[in-house]
Amino acid sequence: MAGRVIVITSGKGGVGKTTTSANIGSALAKNGHSVVLIDTDIGLRNLDLLLGLENRIVYTLVDVVEERCKLKQALVKDKRNPNLCLLAAAQTRDKSSVSAEQLKKITEKLKKDFDYILVDCPAGIEQGFQTAIAGASEAIVVTTPEMSAVRDADRIIGLLEAADGIESYKLLINRVRPNMIKSNDMMSVDDVVNILSCQPIGVIPEDTGIITSTNRGEPIINNEKSLAGKAFMNVARRINGEEVPFLDIDEPKDIIGKLKKFLSGLKKKGKE
Amino acid sequence: METILEDNMYVVDLGSVDTASEVIFELSSILDNNEVRNRKIYLKLGSVDLNQAQLLSIKSLISGIESSLSCIDTKSVETEKVALSLGIIVANVSSENVIEVTPEMPYKTAEELKETLKEEDNLPVLSKDKEDESFDIIEEPEELSDDVLKRQETENIETSNSDTEEQQIIQAEDKEIQSAEKEEEKTTEEIKEEINGFSSDKKDEVRDELDVIFGSNPAKSSIFEMAVPEEVYEEREALDDIVVPEQEYTKEDIELETFPTKYIKQTIRSGQVINYEGNIVIIGDCHPGSEIKAFGDITVWGILSGIAHAGAGGNMKARVRALKMNAIQLRIANCYSRRPDSLNTVFVEKTNSFTPEEARIINNEIVVFKIND
Repeated sequence: MAGRVIVITSGKGGVGKTTTSANIGSALAKNGHSVVLIDTDIGLRNLDLLLGLENRIVYTLVDVVEERCKLKQALVKDKRNPNLCLLAAAQTRDKSSVSAEQLKKITEKLKKDFDYILVDCPAGIEQGFQTAIAGASEAIVVTTPEMSAVRDADRIIGLLEAADGIESYKLLINRVRPNMIKSNDMMSVDDVVNILSCQPIGVIPEDTGIITSTNRGEPIINNEKSLAGKAFMNVARRINGEEVPFLDIDEPKDIIGKLKKFLSGLKKKGKE
Repeated sequence: METILEDNMYVVDLGSVDTASEVIFELSSILDNNEVRNRKIYLKLGSVDLNQAQLLSIKSLISGIESSLSCIDTKSVETEKVALSLGIIVANVSSENVIEVTPEMPYKTAEELKETLKEEDNLPVLSKDKEDESFDIIEEPEELSDDVLKRQETENIETSNSDTEEQQIIQAEDKEIQSAEKEEEKTTEEIKEEINGFSSDKKDEVRDELDVIFGSNPAKSSIFEMAVPEEVYEEREALDDIVVPEQEYTKEDIELETFPTKYIKQTIRSGQVINYEGNIVIIGDCHPGSEIKAFGDITVWGILSGIAHAGAGGNMKARVRALKMNAIQLRIANCYSRRPDSLNTVFVEKTNSFTPEEARIINNEIVVFKIND
C-alpha cells in the first residue's frame, strides 16, 4: 500500500506548523505506523530541533536533490521511535535549492516504504510553499483563533483548492484558550470553522508545556499529562481514521470541556 | 486648453484661470491662432467673476477675428447674470457627465438615504421608532373598545334601549373592515348621544375613557383610521419616489439582460479574483480579500465580504446582490464606496435567516437596500 503524503501548512508564520508536524509525526509513529517527516523550510530549519535530532544530521534534502547521497542515507532515525524518520532541510541554502518536481520525485520514492510522509511547509505562499505542496495529496491547514491567521488560512485554502495534487484538506486549530473564548475575547472553534467553511481535524489547546518540550527537543505527545499532547494524539488517530471518524468536532470540544473543568478545579483549589 | 468640436464649434477652456485680466490675456493669446478664425467660440470659464465691460471686451476680441461667441459656460452667478443681460447664451455643461468619485464615502443603507431625503425635502417620513409606537397603539384600543362597548351594552340594558344597540354591535363585528368602519363610526356617534342622556357622573367617566381611546375628538376619528396611520403610506410613497426614476427601461437594462452569465458554485477565498464580461452568479460566500468584477450584475448567494465591482464596463444600472452585504468595498460603474465603520465587525456570524440586500446607484451614490418583501 502506498503511503499518504500530507503537507502541513498555514500561510502565517508562528502558528505551530513545525510543532504540529513533529507531534503528529511522533504520534503516528507511536501508534505503529512508519512515518517520514520532510522539512522543506530550507534555510530556517527547526523540525530537527523539536525532535532533538540536530546533532545527527549528516545529509540534508538539498544533498539528496543534488545527488550527493542516496535518499536512505539522508533519513535520520528518531532516537525514541525507530518508526520515525526525518529528512532535514539544509540550513546553509535557500528555498530555490529544491524545485517542486524534485520534491515530488522524493515523495514518490518514499511512498513505497512509508505509511505516512508529512511535509512541513515554510510560511508564506511563494516558491517554498509551491514546492512543499507539490508531492502532497492531502493537506492540514494550521491556524490559530486570530483574525490574521484565519485570513492567511483562507488564502492558503484557496491556493490548495487551485492546486492540482491536493485532494482534501483539513483544518487544525492551534493555541485555543477556552477561558478566553468563554469571556468572548477569542473566536471560538465554531467561529473559525464557519469563517473558513472547512472541516476541522483537531483543536489543540494552548499549553505552556509546548515551550519546554521544544527547548528540550522532546515532542509533547510523550508527556501524558499534557492536554496538548493528548489533543495531538487524537489528531493522529483521526488522520489514520481509526479511533475517531473524520469530520468529528465533538471530541475536541470534550477536550475543551475537560480543560475548562480542569481549570475551574484549579481555581477552586486555589480558593480553598 | 482648447479642442475643436463639430459644426464649426471651437471650445476654449479657461476653467482653471482665476482672475479677469488673466482670462483676457489667455484668450487673446489663443485668438492669435489662425485656427480660431471664422468659428463659433464656446468659452468655458471657471469661478471667475466678470463685469459687463470685461465681457464686452471679450466679445469684441472674438468678433475682431471674424468669429462669434456662441455661448459661455461659467460657475460664477455674477458672470452668468451679466452674460444673460448682454444676450449671451449660458450653458450648464459642468453639471453633466461629471461623476465625482468619493472613496471616503461609506455606502448608504436605504434608511440613511431616506433620512437625507427627509432633511433635504422635508418629506413626512416616519422614523422607525414612531412607526413602531403607532402600531403599538393599535392593539390596545381594539381590546379596550370591546370592554367599553360591552359596558355600554349593560348600561343600555339598564336604560331599556338594549335590542337595537346590541344588534348594531353584533353586525359591526360580523361585517368586513370597510363596512365595519362606518358601523363603528355610527356606534361611536350613537354612544355619544347616549352619553348625553346619562347622569353627569357617568357621562364624564365614559367620555374620559373615550378620550383615551379615540383621542381628544372621539366623534371624528374611528378605530380604523388609527389602525393605519396616514404617515405610513406617505413613507411608502416616499420610498417609491426614490425607486421610480431607477426603473425606466433604457439601453443599459437591455445590455444587462443580454449579457452572458457565469455561474460559480464554490466559496471564493482570499486572493481569488473573478473577472467576467457579463453577469456573475456565485453560490457560496465571498471571503475578505477576494475580488469579483463583472460587466453586469453580481449576485452572491451567501455572505459577500470581499470587493465587488458590478458594471465594470460603465453600466450604471448594474447591481450587486447578496444574502448578507458585508463587502469591504462596493463598486458600481465608476462609483465606489467603502464599508461603513458601523459594520466593521470582525466576522459575520452565519445564521439561518439573512435579509437579502441589494446595492445600486442612486444619484451617483451607492445605496444598499434590504429586500424585505
